[in-house]
Amino acid sequence: MPLLDVGYRTWTGERTYASTRWLVVASTGIRLIWRGTWLKRLMVVLLIPSAVALFFFGVFEQSAEDPNYRNIIRSVFAAREARATAARAGVNINEILLNPTESRHFVWSYLLFFLFRYPQAFSMILVIGLIAPRLISFDLRSRGYLLYLSRPLTPAEYVLGKACVIFFLLAMIAAVPALLIYIAGLFLSPNPWVLFSTWDIPLRVLIATCILAIPTTAIALAFSSLTQESRYAGFAWFTLWVVGSVTYQALATADQLSRREPLRWGEYSHWMLFSPYETLGYLQQEVFGLTAKVGMQWAPWCWILLVSVIGYSIAYWRVARMLRV
Amino acid sequence: MLLACCDIRRFLDPENLIPIPRHPLGTSLGGRDGIGTKKFFGDKISSVHAKYNRIVLGAPQTHTFLTGLFILNRSEPVLEVHDVVKRYGNRDVLKGLSLAIPPGVTGLLGPNGSGKSTLIKSILGLLRINSGHGRVLSYNWPSECKAIREHIGYLPEDDCYLHGLQGIESIQMMARLSGLPRTEALRRAHEVADFCDIDQERYRNVETYSTGMRQKLKFAQALVHDPPLIILDEPTTGLDPSQRESFLDRIRMLAVEKGKSLIVSTHILHDVQRVCDHVVILVGGEVRMTESLERLQQPIEPGLHLRVEENLEGFENSLRRRGIAFERESDRELRVLGVGADQVRCLWQASEESAAPIQHLDAARNSLEDIFLNAIRS
Repeated sequence: MPLLDVGYRTWTGERTYASTRWLVVASTGIRLIWRGTWLKRLMVVLLIPSAVALFFFGVFEQSAEDPNYRNIIRSVFAAREARATAARAGVNINEILLNPTESRHFVWSYLLFFLFRYPQAFSMILVIGLIAPRLISFDLRSRGYLLYLSRPLTPAEYVLGKACVIFFLLAMIAAVPALLIYIAGLFLSPNPWVLFSTWDIPLRVLIATCILAIPTTAIALAFSSLTQESRYAGFAWFTLWVVGSVTYQALATADQLSRREPLRWGEYSHWMLFSPYETLGYLQQEVFGLTAKVGMQWAPWCWILLVSVIGYSIAYWRVARMLRV
Repeated sequence: MLLACCDIRRFLDPENLIPIPRHPLGTSLGGRDGIGTKKFFGDKISSVHAKYNRIVLGAPQTHTFLTGLFILNRSEPVLEVHDVVKRYGNRDVLKGLSLAIPPGVTGLLGPNGSGKSTLIKSILGLLRINSGHGRVLSYNWPSECKAIREHIGYLPEDDCYLHGLQGIESIQMMARLSGLPRTEALRRAHEVADFCDIDQERYRNVETYSTGMRQKLKFAQALVHDPPLIILDEPTTGLDPSQRESFLDRIRMLAVEKGKSLIVSTHILHDVQRVCDHVVILVGGEVRMTESLERLQQPIEPGLHLRVEENLEGFENSLRRRGIAFERESDRELRVLGVGADQVRCLWQASEESAAPIQHLDAARNSLEDIFLNAIRS
């Protein structure tokens, strides 16, 4: 019994805009996943690669002033992939070492791309695989969708709200660390005009994040909406990435063997469309301006468009279909 | 003058206006929630409120002290649909159904598969109908379903909850989805949780709730945005007898004191009898009967219904000797035909003579169960 029982009282007040109600779904979803202590700890761990990238930013900027730092840069670009990427982008490694400020745009782009391509992509697969399967499947199991959709909310807005939960996580994993590194790079640089030569990098980071977020969210939501058991959705998610990568490696290797023409490190075969990981990597490389323009550029873009449309359509269709009596 | 700047007849049927005397101190207008007062005069209200501070947009009983221009007629249906057809494949679930639901509490009855849930979900716009049109709370239906959902509270039949949220959070979230600002939603959630008798359990995760608690929670979620029309699908399922009575009291209170309109879809006829003003019986996707409960229960021949404590046979013999016609209803209940003052006197005399104390005496009514069964069979 409440201390002050006021009974039922009518409510009058200004309501929020009907077109913004999906934000409630998103904010509640984010609040809910953020309660997990393990997720917070995992996110902190996942920031370590960003700290390493930040270290290299600092070293690179210092190398412009102090040649002793250039040995570290040399060790970074001693890797096969870095050499291959530099070659495709038409940058000479020796030039980087001799005159770092002239190659700043390439080096910053490469470091951020590397961050996206490897640590953050793996982090994304892990975190989304642990979080996303629950987003819709739990609502299907507990019939929570009825509560959502009996309010002024359409199935499309519901899916959008759920997608925003994943967008938030991906932004925290990919875009936010990359942008912070970029800002830190600006401050670490001895040259105050560095902003004018690198102004496009934040935009590239945002586009690369979108490329990562839109199709992967579509896939994750589609899996989540196809089952009431989140573990099945999680299994399907991880299987997709593993099987896709293994298939790509097998086909690409077989292709090379048949052509007797080895695929150089960092290059992509046309079999990459079998692997979401390779396709996203290729597109991000293109966004960061590190890809040599050779054929089939439209295919990966069509791939993410198709995957996104199919993924969101499945999620929408499943939610709308559940309303049948 | 208050509404001189707008032509009322553009918005309202003149028959729905009840003129009331103008007061020299100012003008007020009022209307029961959900019949469109806010929608029609929405942009005028704030200025009028500032000028006169006398606007009342609330429960019907407040109209007794209104001193203004007019009120909206209470008899306008809150929900009116025509020729509704809903098909699943080749099967017609709703077959050209037409229905008008007046304000108050309406019981929606029907056997399983009669289309009750389909009708409710169609009204909410959760299901797309094949054809049909109508008006719900002054909004066009089905074209304005999203706006309609903003003003309807819905308690689903299904056991549904939002996984991972505390009770109070899930009420707050429903409030926010209906447009209440965050802080106001939390305040309102606590208020409604109190009203629905959800005590400290409100801080527990909803997946740990019992069926009865979930039912209360769904009721709170349906009420949190203060909707003028509340649709309750099997609301008393899983409640123990005392909680069920309290629940029904709340439903009745909302209708009588707060002017809410409620549609109660249930199989429990006792609940309908207890709280409803009107009854709609659906059979096979068609409206078989729609009538006020009072009129439905009126017997063709007036009579009295009584229950004696003991010795019913002696009581019956005594009535026969007095020439009073009656029918036995159970081992302690009788229906006496006729309601004259003489007959009532004779009943008390017969009771005294046969030592059969009368426990209960009131006007005889048709049983809702019989009405329901007859409607289905016909």
